Formats: sequence, C-alpha cells, structure tokens
Amino acid sequence: MLTYVPDDTLAHRLDPRSKLAVQLGFAAAALTHTGPRAILVLSALAIGMLAAAGVSPIRAVIAARYALVILSLAPLLAALTLGPPWIETDAGLTTALASYRVLLVLLVSTAAVRSTRVRDSRAAIQRTIPGRPGHLLGIGVALLFRFLPVLRADIQTIRDAMAARLGAQRHAHERAGTIALLGLSRAFDRADRLSLALRARCFAWNPTLPPLSFSRLDIPALLLATTLLCSTLLTTIPL
Amino acid sequence: MIEFRSVTYGFDDVSVLEDLSLTIENGEFVVLVGPNGSGKTTLLRHCNGLLTPDSGTVLVDGTRVEADLIAARSTVGMVFQHPRDQFVAATVGADVAFGPENLGLDRPEIDSRVTAALEAVNMADREDDRIETLSGGEQARVAIAGALAMKPSYLVLDEPFTGLDTPARRSVRSRLESLSDRGTGVLLATHDLREIRDLADRVIGMQDGQIIIDEPPEQALDDCAELAIL
Amino acid sequence: METDQREVELVGDAAVHRFARAALLAALLGAVAPVAIPLPFSPAPITLQVLFVFLAGLVLGPVWSAFSMVLYLIAGAVGVPVFAGFNAGLGVLFGQSGGYLWSYPFAAALIGLFVHRGTDVRDPANVSLPVVVTALVAATTLIYGMGSAYMSLILELNAWEAVTAGALPFIPGEIVKIAAAIAIVRSGRLSPTRVR
Repeated sequence: MLTYVPDDTLAHRLDPRSKLAVQLGFAAAALTHTGPRAILVLSALAIGMLAAAGVSPIRAVIAARYALVILSLAPLLAALTLGPPWIETDAGLTTALASYRVLLVLLVSTAAVRSTRVRDSRAAIQRTIPGRPGHLLGIGVALLFRFLPVLRADIQTIRDAMAARLGAQRHAHERAGTIALLGLSRAFDRADRLSLALRARCFAWNPTLPPLSFSRLDIPALLLATTLLCSTLLTTIPL
Repeated sequence: MIEFRSVTYGFDDVSVLEDLSLTIENGEFVVLVGPNGSGKTTLLRHCNGLLTPDSGTVLVDGTRVEADLIAARSTVGMVFQHPRDQFVAATVGADVAFGPENLGLDRPEIDSRVTAALEAVNMADREDDRIETLSGGEQARVAIAGALAMKPSYLVLDEPFTGLDTPARRSVRSRLESLSDRGTGVLLATHDLREIRDLADRVIGMQDGQIIIDEPPEQALDDCAELAIL
Repeated sequence: METDQREVELVGDAAVHRFARAALLAALLGAVAPVAIPLPFSPAPITLQVLFVFLAGLVLGPVWSAFSMVLYLIAGAVGVPVFAGFNAGLGVLFGQSGGYLWSYPFAAALIGLFVHRGTDVRDPANVSLPVVVTALVAATTLIYGMGSAYMSLILELNAWEAVTAGALPFIPGEIVKIAAAIAIVRSGRLSPTRVR
C-alpha cells in the first residue's frame, strides 16, 4: 500500500490541483499516443515524476502489483487465436504496449498519492468542484479517510465472529449476505451518531476552507499538463 | 442560562419528556442521573436544538433555541458517547478546526482556537496525531476540544465515561474540573454519580421523563439509592 | 456571535443524515475491498464491493447512492486507499479496471430508480421480487458491460477477449451476490429508517 508520506520533495510542494492536472494530462497522452517514440517520452516523464516525489520505480511497481496480473495476461489473451496460426504476434505486441502504457499511468498516480495530503486534496476538491456537491464531496473525502480504519476493524470483527461459529461451512451467499448486512448495520449506526455530531458542530454550507494556494513552482507543472493535453487533442482531432 | 419551560416531547406515541421545567445558571456544574430510558439523552439533545419540543420552549441565554440554532449550538457545546464516531477528520488538529470553520471564522482565529482548545484538554502539540492512534481517553478529550473550539458557555456531555478505563476516566474528569473552574458550565449525564459527585454543584435525578430529584450533591447519593435510580 | 460578515448557512438535518450514511457506505466499499470469499468451481473469488453497490442503490435511493459511489471514486483518486488491494490514485480510474469503477454510480442509481421509482426512498421489502431481480441483473450487466468495454478499449483487445478476461470468470460470483442481495431485501432489514 502506498499512501502519503511527509517529505519535502518537489512534488510535495506542488499544489494538489497542479498534480491533478499533470495526472490527467499524462493519462490522456498515454492512452492516445501509441507510437514507440511517444512511449519513450512517456517512460522518461513517468520516471521523472516518480523521482520528483521521491518514489523508487520498483516500489511504485510493487504498489501496482494488483494490476500486473491482468496487464500481463492481456497480451497472451490477445495473441491467442482459435485456429491457425494459433498465435498472432502483432495483436499480442499491440496489447503488451497498451498494458505498458496503463502501467505508466498507474505509476504516475502513485507519485501523486505519496506526495499529497488528504487534507489538501479535500481543499482542492472544495475549490474545484463548484457549489454544494463540491463541499459535500470534500468533507466526504475527509470522512472516508477517517472512517476507513474504523470500518475495516468492524468487518474484521464480523469475519472473526463468523469464523468462530463455523461460518466457513455455510453457503457462500449466506456468508456474503451476513457480512454485508452486519457491516452495513454497524456502519449506519456509526453514521447516525456521526450525523448528530456534525449537527452539534454547526455543519455548514459555507465554512472557512482549508488554506491552499498556487506558488511559482506550479507554473511549470501546469504548463506540462497543458502541453500533454494539447498533444492529445492534436492526435485525436484531424486538422 | 439554559431554561426548559414545560417541555413535552415524545415519539412513537411514547412520551419521553413530560411537562419538564428546569433552569441551569451560568457556570453551574450539573450532573444528570437516571435509569436507561428515563429521558436523560432526550433532555440533553434539546439544549442545542438536536431535538425540538412538541410543546413548551427551551431558551439559551434568553433566546429560543430554534430561533437561532447557530447561536445555541456554539453556546452549548455537546459531546456524545462513542467519541470514535464523532470525528470528521483523520488528524486531531483538522478535526478540532471543524466547528470554528463552520462558523466562518478567519484562519488565524481558527488556529488560535484549536491551539487553546487542545491546551485545555492537555493535548497541546498533538495536532498532527492521527485520531486512530489515540487511546480512548485521548479521543474523549479531543472530542471535548472539538466542542470547546466553538467557545461554548456550556459543555453538555452524554455519558462521557462509558467505555473508558480508570486512568482515562480520571484524565477526562480532571479536564472537566479545570474547565468548570474557569467558568464553563457543565451538564453531564452519567450512570455513576460517585465518580463525579464532588465536582457537582447540583444533582438532577430523572425517571419516566420527569425530574424527581433536584438538590445539592451531599444529599443526592442517598436519595438516588433510595429511589433506585442509580 | 463573532461570525464575521458572513451568515452561517447550516446544512439541513435530513441532508446531514443522508450525507453521513452515504459517506460511511462509501467507506464500507473501501473497507471490504480486501475481503475475498473463495467459491467452489470458480477461478475468481467473491469480492463484496459489487454487493455494496447493490445495497447502496437499495437503501439510499438513486440520488444519494450515486453520490456515495462518486465520493468513493474521488476519495480513491486523491489517495485514500479504497480500491482493490489497498490501492489508490487517479491512475486506477484510467487503468485496466477503470470501467468497472466508473460504472458504480450508474449501477447504484439504476437500482435506486428501479426500486424506489423516484427520489423518495421506500422500504425495498415492499417492492415486488421481479422488479428487484430485474434491477440487480440490469446493474450487474451495466457494471460488467462498462468494465469489459473499457478494458477492450484501453488494452486493445477484441470484444470476445475482453469478455473472457473481464466478465466470464465473475459470473458465478455475481449470481451469488445477487442471491445475497435478494435475501437481504426479503429479510425486511433494509428499511430506510433503520438497518438491523
């Protein structure tokens, strides 16, 4: 698991909105440029961004290991054909390159995750998404971050209790249903108490937002994001 | 001053508060006792408008609670059972800032209130700690700080000792004592009068939605035992 | 009151309550991401996330269930580790599994619309069984349709290859989850006011 780590790297000092823009630009570019030269440039950029956040490429790949199964199986699947010639190398290669580009996108986002506090992301969401939805989404992200370990412990308690009562011998749908229902009822009990606390603390539509401001460092990052997005538009829109 | 005037409240056809009247003066330390279902929690939740009476009125500093919820909720700070479910942020400082942020205060004022509130509960310099890593007693104290950051005149606590071990109870108790010494009114519901009796100015005993005891703590322990409401 | 020049505008009681439930349901989706129940005769174990997408639609209705799912996606995108394998990051939303994730708000809203026939939330136990089953099957189809389609697009696979990798192995597990969701609805424990 790769999460925020306090540090003073270049990426840590950027505004979360700049990092968001760079990630969007990079994802768009990686998913539209398929040529070998583009892949070299994207690889170099990805390595640079990881370095800017102080993440070693190997650690980033380990963090993305969940995705690696499908990303490495997909080229095989694309190459296999029913009937002669059984293996289509070209199709396999195309998918392999596509898998690689997806991996780059995942790596770049680990750089952002490692260098961005959830509190700053909350501020960025509230400043970027307008109106009441943006406000609720921002506070909601903070709540999710707060309650994730609490609910994980609840789920673990429920599973332990089921295992103690020989739950492993029950049908899969009963086990799934029991975990889901008990998990939901506990979570909603917590939500009911939380909503009282929110009201008691004057939960308002127009609070003072957490501080957040662009600095001079953000200019090159935003330029990079714009360049990446423009490069995508140039390939997708025929001029 | 918190004033209940003939407050009646019920749900599902069951009456929870029955024509209840009560006045709590500024700076008083009031302990509320009574069996489960006697209406303690319901009474507390009327103090800041989380519940609204079916009939009668609740006044905070002379203003009807529903007429100015923001004033009522910042004047009467409230801490519930299960502090773990009352936090809105993953770190101590961000959580304590939530109330003052909602009041729309400017950032320097918010920061100074957060610092002061954490000092008042003996949690100074713990702003960047993750809530999840705190002990139960520390969580209870941070929950109190969250209420204090709104600069309330009263602190209302619903069974704040439930689930805490002895050292944690002691630490919460001593914080309440020092807050009370500095003039904050305290209204506290508990199952264990012995624990808090020596801090109290006044003990109120409830049964079936009515006040049946309202007296100084010296007599209260015996009376409560006699009426079997402890 | 020293509340500056601005008038404080409180979030209404009912909205606070629905918001808190939607937020904790989204957190629950992240909390069960690592839970996998093995299934006999199937290569893919059951993960519970889709079951909670179902429950969101059933118990929160179309609007707040979609909000809850969008919140889950945004929280994951900005770094709260709620995606499968304790993962997080905007990249996951654009990665090979992005299509499934993007489908969650639509799937939950679809169930909410089917079962509640509008934005007023009612007790799903009072809704006829065929309606519930249709809603769940339609939502499942949407999730795997969007998931496979996006996977085929992003990894340059043809449709059949994408379905083979992205949908077929999960069919037994999905049938189990639909059965579990129906049993939960039938148990009558999902009323909008109280989940027991």
